Amino acid sequence: MKLALALLIVVGGAVAGVLVTRGDASRDTATLSNHGGGTIAIHGLRMRAATIRTGAVLARRDGRVFYRLTTADGDPCFGVGLATDVGSPGSVVCRRGFPSSGSPVLDLSVYEGTRRDAREFSLFRVEGFAADGVAAIQFLRPNGNLALTVPVAGNVYSAATTPTGPIAGYAAVDREGKRVWRSP
Amino acid sequence: MKRLVLFVIASACVAAVAALARPSAASAGWCWPSCGGYGILNQSTSTYTGCWFSSGEVCSYYNSWFNVGLTKTCYPGCDWNYRTTGVVLYGFENHDRIRGVFTDRAETVYTRPSYLSMTGLTRAQMTWYAGTNQVNGAAIG
Repeated sequence: MKLALALLIVVGGAVAGVLVTRGDASRDTATLSNHGGGTIAIHGLRMRAATIRTGAVLARRDGRVFYRLTTADGDPCFGVGLATDVGSPGSVVCRRGFPSSGSPVLDLSVYEGTRRDAREFSLFRVEGFAADGVAAIQFLRPNGNLALTVPVAGNVYSAATTPTGPIAGYAAVDREGKRVWRSP
Repeated sequence: MKRLVLFVIASACVAAVAALARPSAASAGWCWPSCGGYGILNQSTSTYTGCWFSSGEVCSYYNSWFNVGLTKTCYPGCDWNYRTTGVVLYGFENHDRIRGVFTDRAETVYTRPSYLSMTGLTRAQMTWYAGTNQVNGAAIG
C-alpha cells in the first residue's frame, strides 16, 4: 500500500513537471526578430493602467506606424497609429505572453457592425503583429471559408483594402501555407 | 469692514474660477462597472442605456471621447498564453455603426475614436462576443 502511494506521488510529480514545463513561457522559442529603430518618445497616451513613455518603430505600412512599446514597469506593449502623428499610437495592447507558440498573432484589426439584431462584424481595417515564422494571416468567414490573406513582413501585417461581409476569426500560416494557429 | 467685504468677494471669485476650471467627475470620464472594480460582461449584461445591442453590451453616454481602455482578467480561467474563455469587442459606436478591436486575452488595451476612424460624439462601448469576461472599462474625454 505504501509502495503504491509512493509510486502515485512520483508519477504525479512527473506529470506535473511536464505540464509546468510546457507552460513555461520563458522556454518558448517564438520571437519577434524585428526590434525596430532607435528609442523614441511616446506622447499623447493618457493611460493610467499602463504608463508608456518610450517605444520603437517597427514598421510603416499603408499610412500607419507599428510600435513596440514598454511600460514604465517594463511590461511589453504594442501599438499602431497614424504615420502623420509618429509617437502617438491610436491603439495599444499590453499583452503578456506575446509572442509565443500558443500566441503568435496580436491582431489590432478594426471590426465594424451595422446590424443590431446579430453580432455580425466585418473588417474595417486590417493590421497587427505576428511572430517569426508566420508568413501570412488568413481572415475567415463564419463558415470557415477564406475571406482575405494578408502577408506578414518584418513581423507586421496590414491591408489597404478589406472585403465586405462577416468575418469570424483568423489564422496564422507558415511559408508552406500550413495553418499553425487559429483564433477562437 | 470694507476690506473684509472685498476679501470675501475676492475669495468667492477665486473659488468660483477654480470650480469651473476643474472638470466634474461626470464630464471627465466613464467607468464600468465602477472606476475601481471589475464586472462580469456576458450575454445578458447591459447598462440599459440604449447601447447598440440591448444585451451583452455596456456603453457610455455620448461624448467627444479621447480613448477607451479595458482591463480583462483571467477569470473564470486562462490558458498558458493568458487566453481567456471570453471574447470582447471594445471601441466606440454612434447611431449608424459600432466599431472596435477584439480581445480574448487577460490584458490591458486602449483605443481612440480616431483609430477607428470615428469622429464627433460617440459612445465608448464594450461588447460581449463569447464566453464570460471579467473586465473593468473606462473612457476619458
